[in-house]
Amino acid sequence: MPSRFFTQQFGLAFCAFVLVLLSGCATSPVGPAHPADPLEASNRAVFEFNDAVDRAVLKPAAQAYSFVVPQPVRTCINNIFLNLGEVWSWFNSTLQGRQVDALNTFGRFLLNSTMGLGGCLDLASQTGAKRIPNDFGVTLGVWGLSSGPYVVLPIMGSSTLRDGAGRAADIYVNQFGYGSFIHDIGVRNSIYGLEVVERREALLEVTNTIDRTALDRYSFIRDAYLKRRQAQVDGATAEAQRLPNYEDFGAEPADEKTLGITPKK
Amino acid sequence: MKSRIDLFFKLFTLCLLLGLSQASRAQAKPDPNAAPNDFVQQVADQVLVALKADSKVRSGDTARVNQIVDDLILPNVNFEKTTRLAAGRYWRQATPEQQAALVKAFRGTLGRAYSGAFTRVDDATNVKVLPMRGEADATDVVVKSQVTQRANSQPIGLDYRLEKTPQGWKIYDLNVENIWLIENYRNQFSQQISQNGIDGLIQALNQRAQQ
Repeated sequence: MPSRFFTQQFGLAFCAFVLVLLSGCATSPVGPAHPADPLEASNRAVFEFNDAVDRAVLKPAAQAYSFVVPQPVRTCINNIFLNLGEVWSWFNSTLQGRQVDALNTFGRFLLNSTMGLGGCLDLASQTGAKRIPNDFGVTLGVWGLSSGPYVVLPIMGSSTLRDGAGRAADIYVNQFGYGSFIHDIGVRNSIYGLEVVERREALLEVTNTIDRTALDRYSFIRDAYLKRRQAQVDGATAEAQRLPNYEDFGAEPADEKTLGITPKK
Repeated sequence: MKSRIDLFFKLFTLCLLLGLSQASRAQAKPDPNAAPNDFVQQVADQVLVALKADSKVRSGDTARVNQIVDDLILPNVNFEKTTRLAAGRYWRQATPEQQAALVKAFRGTLGRAYSGAFTRVDDATNVKVLPMRGEADATDVVVKSQVTQRANSQPIGLDYRLEKTPQGWKIYDLNVENIWLIENYRNQFSQQISQNGIDGLIQALNQRAQQ
């Protein structure tokens, strides 16, 4: 019976995943512990798992999509999904008290949905109004919830404890919000599938670049993710003042004693 | 999700992608003693025009792209400072030979990032430097720009951090969607160095550059 087969397959996949997770716990973390990443060992294990799934399934699907569908159509589809996401962004900006952002997002949604043919043409960006991504994880952060440890979620990737909770809300809204408009389960699942593939395709260049240039993809992605989330929670005004203060060790002559560093070889 | 950082990396792949629409100004050498935003726009002009005009770049010739980077971009970048700041406190532990090797290896790694991005420059690619904000006599400034690629997609914000040297303005850091290049690579470097030492880091960077 088909349902038993699926249960079996799912059970096997789940076992494999748990084994991967446990194997990560058995090994010690790589290098000095990162303060925001106490779960680094198991995170890396999940990261490897996600990578394997990505290489086996998602990336080939995205590449096929990229090969078959011409660029203008892909851009159009991408914009339509992003436009639908603006409603949730607007809602979250409102919850956070960011009225200017909410107003801008609403204006974008209106313009792109009407003149932009249901979101296909991103006219609003061309007039200079940038898209303002927002989600429930940022809302929780603005409300004062600290982010908690960095967590790599299976399939979904980078997250934190707070963002994971936020994402649950995002998915709930997606499923029961938009999902409820489409009654045919087959059509609805096809649309979700398309969204996953086209999102992955939009990131192909990015992930290829990371593959080529990052020394350690895991920490590269983790640091970028955490910085970006923090910037979103801090908001636009704080970001402008937040210039990193690099310590320049080239200016003064070498003096390990003051720094308490024992010279290496 | 990865979509959170997609804009950063999209720009990271396009980093240092500078360009302007006026081809007539393209061949003039950028003036490092001009106002920093004018200087950045001039460098952008030059680079984009060179990339758009060169068919070898379009076809993916990385040697040619590296040449353009060496000729038109590197003279305006204080790359030694970029590497030094990314190495942080480990810079002092390095011998002069290691420091030079590290600068070279880091440049190779970043070159790979640029080359992929530069081969994707098309006629629609454009860079617009935004007006300067801040004091007129500052010696460490941030210049913001917007990179537009295809007609229908979102422009990307790209910020440069420059310092005023005796030779004029020099770029030393890059920011894409709130993530500074040096800050991100600092963690990568320190992780590698604490595991394998400075030579290990140099080796890893060189390996990356060759793959």
